[in-house]
Amino acid sequence: MVVIASIAVGSWAVIFMSSFSNGLVSSYIERAIQHEFSHLQFHHPGFLKDKEIEFTLEDADVLLQEIKADDKVAAAAVRSLSNAMLASAKVARGILVKGIDPEDEAALTGLDKLVVEGDYLNTKKKNTILISKKIAEKLQVKIRSKVVLTFQDFESEIVAGAFRVAGIFETDNNRFDVANCFIRRKDMNKLLGAPIKINAAPVLTEAPAKMEPANTAHEIAVYLKDHEDIAGITTAFQGKYPALKVQNYKELSPDVELMESQIEISSIIFMVIVMLALVFGIINTMLMAVLERYKELGVLMAIGMGKGKVFVMIVLETLMLALVAAPIGLAIGYLSVKFFEDKGIDLSAFSAGMREFGMSEIVYPNIESTLYVQLTIAVAITALLASLYPAWKAVRLKPIEAIRKI
Amino acid sequence: MPIIKTTQVTKVYNPDTIPVHALAGVDLEIEAGEFTAIVGPSGSGKTTLLNIIGGLDQPTSGSIEVGGQDISKFSDSEMIDFRQKNIGFVFQAYNLIPVLTAEENVEFVMLLQKRSKAERQARVKELLESVGIADKWDKRPNQLSGGQQQRVAVARALASKPTFVLADEPTANLDSKSTANLLDIMARLNQEEGITFVFSTHDQRVIDRARRVVTLVDGQVDTDVYK
Ligand SMILES: Nc1ncnc2c1ncn2[C@@H]1O[C@H](COP(=O)(O)OP(=O)(O)OP(=O)(O)O)[C@@H](O)[C@H]1O
Ligand SMILES: [Mg+2]
Repeated sequence: MVVIASIAVGSWAVIFMSSFSNGLVSSYIERAIQHEFSHLQFHHPGFLKDKEIEFTLEDADVLLQEIKADDKVAAAAVRSLSNAMLASAKVARGILVKGIDPEDEAALTGLDKLVVEGDYLNTKKKNTILISKKIAEKLQVKIRSKVVLTFQDFESEIVAGAFRVAGIFETDNNRFDVANCFIRRKDMNKLLGAPIKINAAPVLTEAPAKMEPANTAHEIAVYLKDHEDIAGITTAFQGKYPALKVQNYKELSPDVELMESQIEISSIIFMVIVMLALVFGIINTMLMAVLERYKELGVLMAIGMGKGKVFVMIVLETLMLALVAAPIGLAIGYLSVKFFEDKGIDLSAFSAGMREFGMSEIVYPNIESTLYVQLTIAVAITALLASLYPAWKAVRLKPIEAIRKI
Repeated sequence: MPIIKTTQVTKVYNPDTIPVHALAGVDLEIEAGEFTAIVGPSGSGKTTLLNIIGGLDQPTSGSIEVGGQDISKFSDSEMIDFRQKNIGFVFQAYNLIPVLTAEENVEFVMLLQKRSKAERQARVKELLESVGIADKWDKRPNQLSGGQQQRVAVARALASKPTFVLADEPTANLDSKSTANLLDIMARLNQEEGITFVFSTHDQRVIDRARRVVTLVDGQVDTDVYK
């Protein structure tokens, strides 16, 4: 009974923990893709090296229409990007400014839904900015506060613009929140292309950048309908646009790639640990069972039951126990995953810590059905291995010694 | 030719520490069809002798021939095979398998011998009838009295059609009524079916029923009386 219970609990734990970590990691990945990386990003190859604003995408809007027309693409948006200083009256800090087209961005990343206070950028007012709650706290600003963004423009001149905080957003990922803010691409391009002189620099004689300021963009991010064959799709786009660098989320975020590959490994590692614990549990109980039946086994051998038969008997008994117990554990595991699958497990008690890692508060366990099969095989193998020692012990007993013990 | 012949059998327990000379040269011949009691004071070596004859233990020196075969040099697995084919055991503590019914306990050895189902069923029925507990065939040992359990044990011992039956103090745990009953059964099986019984006992009423009484003293045959 102890064996059955421990095998059942062990199997359940494997199922539940794997589905939990699976849920945790896949929600992390989903969110990272959703809010941060999308499935694919297109850049000027130079931009990836230097992050200099001169490495723009040529004819970004034409390109965007082309990409949007592709039937694998669910949504796409262009962005202008630049590092900047974001300053309030009291505090300044470095930040990545993303110049976005509000509608496209909302369709792509759902940024509008992350606004927790104030409005999204889709107002008519000029020079509005969307900052994260974290940044708002650091800069000690509120909705409608004024902040100043200072960039280098296309001429490597320092330009500054005053922006009003239109809204405050928050994702599950602190790292993302402190590093990014959003303004409209139109506002950004105007600023970058039409510099406002701050220091007393010589008057410009030549025309500034050769591109139309309003059309400038550094990045096109794409959300695919189906990312099963992400590598193939990446290569296909790369072939279509050889002048650009096309990257998928795995390339963009090594840790997402790592986590993705680790989901399976971690559940296997966890399974191995549980199985190791089970091995000792089973050995222990089966040894007890053998000792308890020392006399009975002795009698069986005295009346002529062969060693091979005794050995096989103990092994089969252990396997039977495992085969009774494993389905119980699997069933309980299945039910508990089903139970939490839609409801989720609320971790808000720990969510401060979770946010630091970009994990969400509610985990929706999910599981690959192959795990059930793997686990059943693992339990059977474990039981088999664990039965060998007790069976060997049983075979080695001497009938007279066993029978003498009354 | 005797079915059992021991020649100068000795047994020393703990030869390396405190040696105990349990048997000190036992010569004994037992013919088919005997009904023989091994008696003697406690510690005289009765159990040791029966264990060695039964192939449960090996002698320190000397030889044991059973049906002309020297079993003292058998390997463990040869011994198991030998016991299965030749010897029926009746233990003092009955030692039935607790999870099996009376019927299954009796049937078990025949399963090991791969007898056909029909043969097994017929023999189990016959044996349970001859020990007088056919009606208890589906009971487990803990649902049976000591006397009933020991009768199942006798049936079990006979199931393999052994050359002889060894019983170490088979009645020690039984009341006098069950003792008499068991002895009736054993004596009848001996007379009607010619089954050889060798048993040890302290009980004078059991000794009285034996047709040959071998008395051991200090690991040696002291007297050997045919009645
Ligand atoms: N496994 C053993 N290890 C050491 N000494 C043993 C062992 N078995 C028996 N002996 C000793 O061998 C001697 C003979 O024992 P045995 O059990 O054969 O006597 P017995 O005639 O059956 O006695 P009883 O009438 O009490 O059953 C005794 O001195 C006993 O203490
Ligand atoms: Mg004894």
